[in-house]
Amino acid sequence: MNKNTLVEFSVTRPKLVFGLVLLMTLAFAAQLPWIRLDTNPKNMLPPTSDVRVWNDSVDRTFALYEDTIVVGIVHPMSVLNKGTLEKVRDITAGILKIKGVAGRDVSSFTTIDNVTAEGTGLKVAPLVTKIPASEAEMQVLRKTLLENPLFVDRIISRDEKTTAINVPLEKGANGKEVADRIREILAKYQGEERYHVAGDPVARDTFGAEMFKLMGIFSPIAGMIMFIAIYVMFGSLTLATTMMLVAMVAIVWTMGLGIGLGFPIHIMSSMAPVFLMAIATDSIHIFNEFYFRFREKKDRRTAIIETMEAVGRPVRYTALATAAAFAVLLFMQIVPVRVFGGLIVFGTIVLRLFSFSLIPAVLAIARQEKIGAAAAGEDVTASRTARALKQLGALGANRPLATAAAGLALIAMAVLGTSRIVVNNNMVAWFKPGSEIRIADAVINRALGGTSLGYVVAASDQSDAIKRPETLRYIEGLQRHLEKLPVVGKTISVTDYVKRINRVLHDDDPKFDVVPDTADTIAQYLFLFSMSAKPSDLDNVVDYPFEKANIWVQLKTWDAAAMQGVIDATAEYQRLHPGKLDLKPAGIAYFNLVWNQEVLWDMVKGFLLALVVVLVILALDFGSLKWALIGYVPLLFTILLIYGVVGFAGKDFDMPISVLSCLSLGMAVDFSIHFISRLRQRLAETAVDAGRDLSALKEALAWTAARPGKGIMRNAVLFAAAFSVMLFAPLTPYITVGAFIVSMMLLSALLTILYLPALIVLTRGWLFKTGETK
Amino acid sequence: MKPLRRIALLGFAAAVMVSIPARAADPSADEIVKRSLEAFYYAGSDMRAKVQMKLINPQGQIRQRDMTMLRLNPGKSGDQRYYIYFHGPADVKGTSFLVWKYPAKDSDRWIFIPTLRLVKRIAADDKRSSFVGSDFTYEDVSGRNLEDETHALARKEDLGGRPTYVIESKPKVVVDYSRRLSWIDRERWLPLKEEYFDARNEPQRTFVADKVEQKGKYWTVTARSMKNLQSAHRTEVVFQEVEYDVGLKQDIFTERYLRDAPSQWIR
Repeated sequence: MNKNTLVEFSVTRPKLVFGLVLLMTLAFAAQLPWIRLDTNPKNMLPPTSDVRVWNDSVDRTFALYEDTIVVGIVHPMSVLNKGTLEKVRDITAGILKIKGVAGRDVSSFTTIDNVTAEGTGLKVAPLVTKIPASEAEMQVLRKTLLENPLFVDRIISRDEKTTAINVPLEKGANGKEVADRIREILAKYQGEERYHVAGDPVARDTFGAEMFKLMGIFSPIAGMIMFIAIYVMFGSLTLATTMMLVAMVAIVWTMGLGIGLGFPIHIMSSMAPVFLMAIATDSIHIFNEFYFRFREKKDRRTAIIETMEAVGRPVRYTALATAAAFAVLLFMQIVPVRVFGGLIVFGTIVLRLFSFSLIPAVLAIARQEKIGAAAAGEDVTASRTARALKQLGALGANRPLATAAAGLALIAMAVLGTSRIVVNNNMVAWFKPGSEIRIADAVINRALGGTSLGYVVAASDQSDAIKRPETLRYIEGLQRHLEKLPVVGKTISVTDYVKRINRVLHDDDPKFDVVPDTADTIAQYLFLFSMSAKPSDLDNVVDYPFEKANIWVQLKTWDAAAMQGVIDATAEYQRLHPGKLDLKPAGIAYFNLVWNQEVLWDMVKGFLLALVVVLVILALDFGSLKWALIGYVPLLFTILLIYGVVGFAGKDFDMPISVLSCLSLGMAVDFSIHFISRLRQRLAETAVDAGRDLSALKEALAWTAARPGKGIMRNAVLFAAAFSVMLFAPLTPYITVGAFIVSMMLLSALLTILYLPALIVLTRGWLFKTGETK
Repeated sequence: MKPLRRIALLGFAAAVMVSIPARAADPSADEIVKRSLEAFYYAGSDMRAKVQMKLINPQGQIRQRDMTMLRLNPGKSGDQRYYIYFHGPADVKGTSFLVWKYPAKDSDRWIFIPTLRLVKRIAADDKRSSFVGSDFTYEDVSGRNLEDETHALARKEDLGGRPTYVIESKPKVVVDYSRRLSWIDRERWLPLKEEYFDARNEPQRTFVADKVEQKGKYWTVTARSMKNLQSAHRTEVVFQEVEYDVGLKQDIFTERYLRDAPSQWIR
């Protein structure tokens, strides 16, 4: 056997192994300084993806900005007072000076253009050129604001307590950095006003930045916790150091490889260290068994080699299963997901290689008396944990029917819960309810049209088609239709501008708040509009040849479902009112919908594929499909239970959960592999005819539950301990990841030790009749 | 050695002689800007031109405006009258625009909307806003006041073979630009180039006089462009059939002629 040769070599020449590993580690570590970070979740989809290409083209056609920050200013009584208006003016002036802000299109009281009827003439000017000094002047401003549908819900709330400054960002500007600068400016204007900074770029870039910060904090903390946990479990500093060393070296190799190959470290791959640390805990089975063997044999070399013979196969197959489950990610659409999958596969293989080389080498040179002391504690009869596990396994073996019935009841409940799962994503909800971003978003969404922006692009195949009255009326109809959705706060299109000009030209007579009857009139209105407003105002809603119109749809929530609702309502409108216009969604809300959905379904696909791959590996390992199916049960059971809880708790099935489902498979299956492999080894070693001799089978099950079971429990606890840190994270996806993995590990360990004995006893006739192939 | 030294000395003397009078003759920055405004916006007692304006977006798509521009300087006060008639695009044909410009206060403007046969007075507080969707502002088209900015002579240099003064001007009240540099022809007084900088002192817009020709007695910028460096939008303008001192009368610049374009001048 190749592996054993490697083990023997490592035990004989430990120093050479250390030297080689050190050399390789230095080579990989040399890559680390070249690290490039990519904190933008947008890059989950490549710039060449359909949605990004389409959105870019829409942005170009309508001179739009990819990202806009909304600054909300709230006054308890009314923002229409001298003090607040002066602050708005000065804050706007400050914002214009921030790098990354597209100053020419910042809209606030002092920059937004206003066309009003004044006497029999027109007045064209920025809304506020000088701050009203008298109450009469303030009254004029109030009337101007509240009577203009282009302002209400956009820069002034109906209750006039909230105003907004819309701050578009230049391409490539970092939303968090600009938001931080804005907050610095806001801090200078204390008073009765409350300030809120919201918008997709703030949430997105803050999330990206926080994520990296958290990784920097959590990886070491997770490492420390594991270190302490191992020390407590085995009472050996040498051992704890070895495990951490192995994990660290594997992380250096893996990250070194990723960076060396030129991949930027994206949000997903930034999680690789914690995952690798968790996967590294699988070597606990080696130590677990070694300490039992060392106690029995007292000879270190023999103990190592025998340990590797006993656990070598399950350790190899668990590594294979983990690697295979992650390798599935290599076939996904999303590049950062593929990179992440590839890195974990590499890391897992490296870790397993260390299991057969570095770990035996360390064991070979560790001071004998230290191991002796640690090993003294390892006694199946003496250890409380082992006794408890033995009882647990025995419970399953002795009361198999009751156990299985309880399981079926739980499964029924879980299926019910699972059926209630709602698929949704909301990036703002990734922040905790009390966080600044959540509050800002909630306040602005309550007062104004909404912080989440989507577009519906209406395209015809003829130039000047948009200037036709029937086109404008069709668009107007669509707007009214969309505004029926409760999540839609406001819509704006070229129709609104034409109607506005029509009314203003007719001395502000509300009768003329309609689309005029001829195309020439519309053309001349738009021409007048282009003379009296920022060119971008018109460009934002119609393209140059007047072939396409862009309808702005402001949404009051970042739920992906909201944009889906807009898309569905648009399709419905088209069905009810067939027309020549082609209607297509776009904008950041649409992008969020698409990238979340793509990642989510990619992951669901990956999950299903991983299920198949893991089953195949189990079947290969056990040389039997029956055993594979049995080994599969605790895994499926665990996942179903967790989904059930997710469904009952009303937690959205979002992207982080879909990612986790996929990842946890390859890790949770380990326990089944260890349990079944060791049980069958035991049965073979003790020459038990399990098909006939029930009590001997139960005996073997109890032994497995106690001895390798302790390894399983230790593994699960370590794993859970490492991830439990995440429960204290300020971002909800981390809490989700933490809770999911902690419960996954503990549950699947528990279910393995309880349910495998019950199932094996129940199906022993079927399992052992043709079962053994060895 | 000797002849060489003599040549060097002569050269030095010549340089001193040339540069001293030149320096002495340099007008003040305000004077330069004043003469430039006069040359650029006030040439002749009146002017007529066919103007073709192309708005070009970053994708290279073009919107074209064809117009006739009439201008009258009614007196020495600095008042001006503009009449602009749009021939195209076809669906806005007949739209026309009247401006009474005063040096010390906001101009009066009227627009005629042909489909409604309606004249509207526009009270505009927006000399910095875009002229018909172009990258030129109203002020760029009809001129600004000398006193709105402080001016300083930055340097003298050649630009495209022409000697220029480079003037730095800063607006006295906050507007959309924080400063601008103008390259003003030292002999013809026309601005050959202008660079505008925004509140962050980053380049914002660039004006270039692409073609300068003598029309009658006056040097005239017959092709010009303005490029917005931040949005990559640009506007190209060509002046054709430029005529000065053609004898425009004041009554053309009234509401009556706005409704009924003077066919003698608008063809």
